[in-house]
Amino acid sequence: MKITNKLTRFIPAMIAAALLSFGASQATYAAKWDASMTPDEVEATLDKKFAEGHYSPKGADSCLMCHRKSEKVMDLFKGVHGAIDSSKSPMAGLQCESCHGPMGKHNKGGKEPMIDFGPTSSLSAEKQNSVCLSCHQDDKRMSWNGGHHDNADVACASCHSVHTAKDPVLSKSTEMEVCTSCHTKQKADMHKRSSHPMKWDQMVCSDCHNPHGSVSDADLVKPSVNETCYSCHAEKRGPKLWEHAPVTEDCVACHNPHGSVNEGMLKTRAPQLCQQCHSSAHSGQALFGNTAQGASVTDNAMTGGRSCLNCHNQIHGSNHPSGKLFQR
Amino acid sequence: MKFNLNLVTLALIANASVFVPNIVLADGYNLQQANTSKVQLDKWECKRCDVPTGVSGTVGAGIGYNDSDDIRSANAFAAENEFAGKVDADVNYISKSGYRASVEAQDLGMENGRLEVNTGKVAQYNFNLNYRQIATYKTDSAMTPYQGVGGGDLTLPSNWQTAGSSQEMSQLYASLTPQELSLKRKRAGLGLSYQGEELWSAYIKYQREDKTGLKSASGSFFNQSMMLAEPVDHTTDNLEAGIKLKGDNWFTALNYSGSSFKNQYSQLTFDNAFNPTFGAQTRGTMALDPDNEAHTVSLLGQYHLGKTVMSGRVHYGQMTQDQAFVTSGYGYQLPAESLDAQVDMSGANLKVVSRLNRTVRVNASYDYSDRDNQTEIEQWTQISIDSTSGKVAYNTPYDITTHRGKLGADFRISRGMKLDAGYDYRRDERSYQDRETTDENTLWTKFHISAFNNWDMWIKGSYGERDGSQYQASQWTSSESNELLRKYNLADRKRSMVEARVSHTPIDALTIDLGARYALDDYNDTQIGLTESTDLSYDINASYLITDDMMVNAFYNRQNIDSDQSGSTNFGAANWFSQIEDQVDVVGAGFSYNNLLENKLRLGVDYTYSDSSSNTQVTQGISGDYGDYFAKVHNVNVYGQYQATDKMALRLDYKMENYQDNDPGNSIAPDGIWNVVSFGSNSHDYTAHLVMLSMSYKL
Repeated sequence: MKITNKLTRFIPAMIAAALLSFGASQATYAAKWDASMTPDEVEATLDKKFAEGHYSPKGADSCLMCHRKSEKVMDLFKGVHGAIDSSKSPMAGLQCESCHGPMGKHNKGGKEPMIDFGPTSSLSAEKQNSVCLSCHQDDKRMSWNGGHHDNADVACASCHSVHTAKDPVLSKSTEMEVCTSCHTKQKADMHKRSSHPMKWDQMVCSDCHNPHGSVSDADLVKPSVNETCYSCHAEKRGPKLWEHAPVTEDCVACHNPHGSVNEGMLKTRAPQLCQQCHSSAHSGQALFGNTAQGASVTDNAMTGGRSCLNCHNQIHGSNHPSGKLFQR
Repeated sequence: MKFNLNLVTLALIANASVFVPNIVLADGYNLQQANTSKVQLDKWECKRCDVPTGVSGTVGAGIGYNDSDDIRSANAFAAENEFAGKVDADVNYISKSGYRASVEAQDLGMENGRLEVNTGKVAQYNFNLNYRQIATYKTDSAMTPYQGVGGGDLTLPSNWQTAGSSQEMSQLYASLTPQELSLKRKRAGLGLSYQGEELWSAYIKYQREDKTGLKSASGSFFNQSMMLAEPVDHTTDNLEAGIKLKGDNWFTALNYSGSSFKNQYSQLTFDNAFNPTFGAQTRGTMALDPDNEAHTVSLLGQYHLGKTVMSGRVHYGQMTQDQAFVTSGYGYQLPAESLDAQVDMSGANLKVVSRLNRTVRVNASYDYSDRDNQTEIEQWTQISIDSTSGKVAYNTPYDITTHRGKLGADFRISRGMKLDAGYDYRRDERSYQDRETTDENTLWTKFHISAFNNWDMWIKGSYGERDGSQYQASQWTSSESNELLRKYNLADRKRSMVEARVSHTPIDALTIDLGARYALDDYNDTQIGLTESTDLSYDINASYLITDDMMVNAFYNRQNIDSDQSGSTNFGAANWFSQIEDQVDVVGAGFSYNNLLENKLRLGVDYTYSDSSSNTQVTQGISGDYGDYFAKVHNVNVYGQYQATDKMALRLDYKMENYQDNDPGNSIAPDGIWNVVSFGSNSHDYTAHLVMLSMSYKL
């Protein structure tokens, strides 16, 4: 039995494809021990090894006796996790075994399991992540536990790599591909008639969301939806003299920030959108558009042009003394 | 080679004696719990640790030819002109002493260019410089008779003849000039972070953004309106700073975030193109977005107690605005020269996650947030620009307080089988609105199975009900509103959602992924307003590694969003109904072939097509529709990359965009509606091409 999911299987392949390297494509072989042990046995062995603490006699030098031939292994030293001059790097501590656990008898033929990460690891995401989280504890990751990706059993190594000069997921040009490989609805959204410019990587998911979780709704980077929007749309912040209640309360009352069939990412177009909340003699009229009786949607300013906004232009609020009706 | 031992390891060594070998089975492999009693670190020399020093990476440059007759294509190509050039770089430097620097430039010189420069010592300090540009383009043919476009004073030509309708404006067509509606953001920032030897670290970041361009606006007098090009010249400065403290099982952070927004144009004045009506006004002035500031301080913390993690945040912020009021053409006494507006934003959050045993983990959270608008309520005289505007009005500074509670648990029933369930509660308290309080209770669950070989699947469902205090339509809004109206953000609502996804990997090289989602919002107590909306979507994705060098992927997504609403023409029960049907199809495919011509050539093609359409129907005895509102876009990118020498690679990209959209309500001549002077039809129909030749050089 092999536990994999789409994310762990495909992201490295996608990243490899997205990077324009000419290197050989990554082969994904399961670890040696997976052939003879079930995931439960592997985990039990790793637990036992971790508790026993039989670390290698010479640290990284012991490991590299065999593994130095692997380019992937040696690439660790190109990145920050391989820095040997930092007191906070794993290489200043238990070296390779900081992350991969005590060597034990692994050096005798490589059949004894080590903690391994990424697409082919049979170890649960929670156990893999316990290694990373022992150092990576800060305000940007404080909501990982019980957060969206944690609950979905996403391993840190599903998105990140450390045996590299530069972690590809941190590049804005690959980020969208990684996120949308699971978030397919959002992938479709950004191709709609209007959306934030994510289709062309001008904006990326992490501009608004924290993939490691946050204490805000939808893992937003700011305390609320509106404050997240204000971080780029500061002009909407006001506070203005005449506020439009749903605007001050929640931008997503009218907009879908991921994309919409309507211009301006509006959930519905005017006048219908406005008529969902306004029903006076003026705003409650039945506005038919094109009819068999010969009327046209372009006949009048209630349905044609910018519809309600032809007059109520200041729909996000007005700071004009006479702006109560959002006309000034 | 000599090493500094990190703090964690030192602590471990110091505490090693308390570990009893072979007994403690940890719940994970947290380094703090590692049993290091047997490690002899003095023998760990790391002779084979080979840290490459010097400069590595690639630099590149490209030149492109852009063939387009519609500026809208610049959204896709990031090129406004016929020729475009760019610089790319991905350069790293590591010195022998451990000093590192990196330069990343992507499409620098294009309209979406980025640059990121970092330099410092790992885990000590880092200095960052960054630049980023975001540009969005609507049209280059917004037709306007106004002069002075780009500024805050729009005037009509001296020979302009006002008239009662746009068709009668004799100088309209002779005065029209095309304008480009586009917005460009240029962001530059710098930051410094520092990590202390011991527990603490700190950072400071500053960013300035300049946003310039033109956007659509409308200026109106009574029932007559002109579309206007509103100047955008905004400058926003952001400053973020914080200090973090960290221990073995806790950390805390104090952060400050400040933002100052400045608008070059505080008002937009425009000539009346029509014969003056109410108030005999020949010029109008609207207030543009006022300068404002926002400051937030937050304190966060987390504590690990065994298998329990507690985290919390409190924050307090202020948004203020004190720009002098627009008085041009106003003429009444003002209660103050500026609003001196202030909104206090505060919040508190506490979350606890605890693993009870290998099977069960529980979580609970509470979240409080408050928007308290402190702005004074005053009396404001409204000028007569229409027949319904009142003489005097009072501002209604809105307050809203939200409480949210969540309880949840996840159960690992067996390896590869997991059940999540939870209960969410939300209460909103509002001022000056039709309903003071709304309460929402939601139950949700998700079941995930990955226990079967090559299959991964989950199903998720939720059901929530929202109700609240008595709904008093029109208490604060307008006495003219229908009392059966229920605004959808305040109305009673039953919300249900079900979503399922299956991923199958029949062979290692092939993955097929299928998903579907259905959501229903039933506004069960609404007679006037939005009564129901449904959202159905499904998608299929496939990815196949044909050989080690050949990969193909494809996806398809369909979404239908249908909404029903009703209205009344006589202040009574609903007597007209409208249906809005939105449909989106997105199709995409990609193919890449690597290592051709003795591993020197890589070829690929990516294609996407999307078709967004929307149909609105209104019925009251007779029935009408809003025409064919759609946008269809094909995008193709064909590329080939050739490794000419060991160091140098050449790449050729061909990009094509075929775009077509229509907005029937806006497909009008500038005088198409008698009481509107419009920008004219701004539908698009174009095919644009970009060819780019680039080279990259490996350092």
